Amino acid sequence: MISVLKRNNVQVFGDGTQVMLFAHGFGCDQQSWKFIIDAFTPDHKIVLFDYVGSGKSDISQYTSAKYGKLDGYAQDVLDVCAALDLKEVIFVGHSVSAMIGLLAAVKQPEYFKKLIFIGPSPRYLNDEGYKGGFERADLESLFEFMDSNYLGWSSAMAPAIMGNVDRPELGEFLTNSFCATDPAIAREFARVTFFSDNRADLSKLTVQSLTLQCAEDIIAPLEVGAYMRNNTPGNEMVVLKATGHCPHISEPAATIEAIKAYI
Amino acid sequence: MPDDFSKEVLASLIDAEALYDQAPCGYLSFSADGTVLKINQTLLTWLGYRADEVIFQKNFSEFLSKGGQIHYEMFFRPMLNVSGTVKELSYELAKRDGTTFHVLFSAVAIRNAQNAILAVNAIITDNTHRKHYEREILKAKKLAEEEKRTFQFLADLIPEMIWTADAAGEIDYINERFIHYFALPDKVFSVNRILTKIQPDDRKRFIASWAESLLSVNDLHIELQLQNSSGQYEWHAVKAVPYLNEGRELVKWFGSCTNIDVHKRALKQKDEFISIASHELKTPITSLMGALQLLDRMKNDPSPKMLPSLIERANKNVKKVNTLVGDLLNVSQLNAGQLHLNKARFKLGPMIFNCCEHILAEGRFEILIEGDDSLEAFADQTRIEQVVINFINNAVKYAPASKQIFIAYTAGQGFAKISVADKGPGIPKDKLQHLFDRYYRVDSAGSQYSGLGLGLYICAEIIQRHSGEIGVDSQLGEGSTFWFTLPCSS
Repeated sequence: MISVLKRNNVQVFGDGTQVMLFAHGFGCDQQSWKFIIDAFTPDHKIVLFDYVGSGKSDISQYTSAKYGKLDGYAQDVLDVCAALDLKEVIFVGHSVSAMIGLLAAVKQPEYFKKLIFIGPSPRYLNDEGYKGGFERADLESLFEFMDSNYLGWSSAMAPAIMGNVDRPELGEFLTNSFCATDPAIAREFARVTFFSDNRADLSKLTVQSLTLQCAEDIIAPLEVGAYMRNNTPGNEMVVLKATGHCPHISEPAATIEAIKAYI
Repeated sequence: MPDDFSKEVLASLIDAEALYDQAPCGYLSFSADGTVLKINQTLLTWLGYRADEVIFQKNFSEFLSKGGQIHYEMFFRPMLNVSGTVKELSYELAKRDGTTFHVLFSAVAIRNAQNAILAVNAIITDNTHRKHYEREILKAKKLAEEEKRTFQFLADLIPEMIWTADAAGEIDYINERFIHYFALPDKVFSVNRILTKIQPDDRKRFIASWAESLLSVNDLHIELQLQNSSGQYEWHAVKAVPYLNEGRELVKWFGSCTNIDVHKRALKQKDEFISIASHELKTPITSLMGALQLLDRMKNDPSPKMLPSLIERANKNVKKVNTLVGDLLNVSQLNAGQLHLNKARFKLGPMIFNCCEHILAEGRFEILIEGDDSLEAFADQTRIEQVVINFINNAVKYAPASKQIFIAYTAGQGFAKISVADKGPGIPKDKLQHLFDRYYRVDSAGSQYSGLGLGLYICAEIIQRHSGEIGVDSQLGEGSTFWFTLPCSS
């Protein structure tokens, strides 16, 4: 049995006792929190981790069977809580991690005190009577962009054209991703993220939660934020002036402020 | 080195604005939220817009497809925030007319003192041609891989065993048939392993020939016996040809192993047949010569007692030779496809009775005939008689103890069936299937019975040419029934 702390590259620091568990979104790793965590370290105990398959996690532990569903990722969150014996955690999840945190909190609410969702979406695809913001074709073209841009043009094309070129050390050549993820895993994570539908899970949440919604976010539009608030018991919504999908990176100050106001 | 004045003059010749506008790549600056701040003429031309339609009017993301926009939000913006640059992102930009073109996109972030992004400078190169080449290269690669698969498939499924060896003669490829033939575990093979599959006497010959071919770079051609997966040796023709590259250097050997076992065995059988046929012909001829010698000796004083018996002996033997030669002629006619059928309509009952006359005359056997007297066939009567006589003669010859022979002719669905049954010892199962083969004699080893072993083969050929069926049912200790069918119209 490999240690969860090692498997998920868990980092614990900070001077407070109240635990804040930060969960990165798709295409990122725990580094994506670097612009905002300093604001919380004096008064909190900060826990950062990478999902299996992302960042510096133990990629050998990745199996499609487990991580082909968001439940597999939710188990990572619960495993980290159990390994550190955490209680009453403030969970901060970005993007797909909002739903992962929600699934974890539905399963074992005792670990959690509050959940903060940054740019959450229970379903990305449009459906009858529901506007998720995406058609299937949009997502297929995104996957194509991801494939062609993963390692930068030349690094992506070279192996495709020349065949069995020894794979460069990942990370060394990751010109266009700020975190190391295996491209095949990234592709699978993207599909799990964008094709999941967790609308039915919202009502099962018993822990109170906050939705941090950006004013203009094509990935999680305002309608989706409103859907979250209307269908999740105990959910509040704050709309940030920030644009884009990563306010914790592009507008760290406003994001910190909103989180602090809530906790 | 020019002096300071000249340097200034020379430098003034360079129009930075013109360079910016007419660069062979697009330049684009936009604010943190994507609003276009500055754009060069090249990019405007590509996009099909005027500067005033774009600057402060459009957001960069408007030029991206939906998928591109998601990528931009999820990867481009966070990446630029974290690392300050992005390099060579492959995007598609939409022109005014709605068409798109491929670009490579590189960008640098301009930040304020608080490290917040104020603006982004981007360089855009038209990647359409590169994309086109990429696609062509990938297509060519795919095609090559498909060809390779096809050849692999061909090599594996071709009914020959194929192998290749390097210049030194080390086998480096064997196809599926090869693996299958020897039932090589896990497709593992080695030269030594394959050598053990060669019949020991042939092995030395093979090693010598192969060594000689390797040394002289000449084709290998050798016939030897290989042991198949069930342990039996089968004859194979092993061939290999050297492959020389353009520089006339030996690079590879291409080899095959063709199974020639059936061919080899047929040749052997033919040799055996010739020996049997010679022997069979020799016996009556010797006997005939003896009779003629005796006749010659008594030609001046013929013994009235001996003369008729010698003439009868000579006649008997000439008849025997005639029959044997007749069979041989039949076979060569059949082989040459020259068996002509003179078909006519005739009644089966009288035809069968004719065939029995010679046996009935002898009086040793009783023949019981049963059948439908109205039954007719459209066939070559002489040939069909030949078949029936052969069946009856076989019954007499192989079941001499059975004093009764049963002949039946009945009508079936669209055919007439004629069968000849004896109550002899029967025929072992393993021999039944070979009875109609050419040169086959049930007891060839003991030579208990004379004959060429051609009779049933000729019968089978005759019936086959009438589009009928021929067969035998036999029970050891109970007897055998030889039968054939003829198609009949009514």
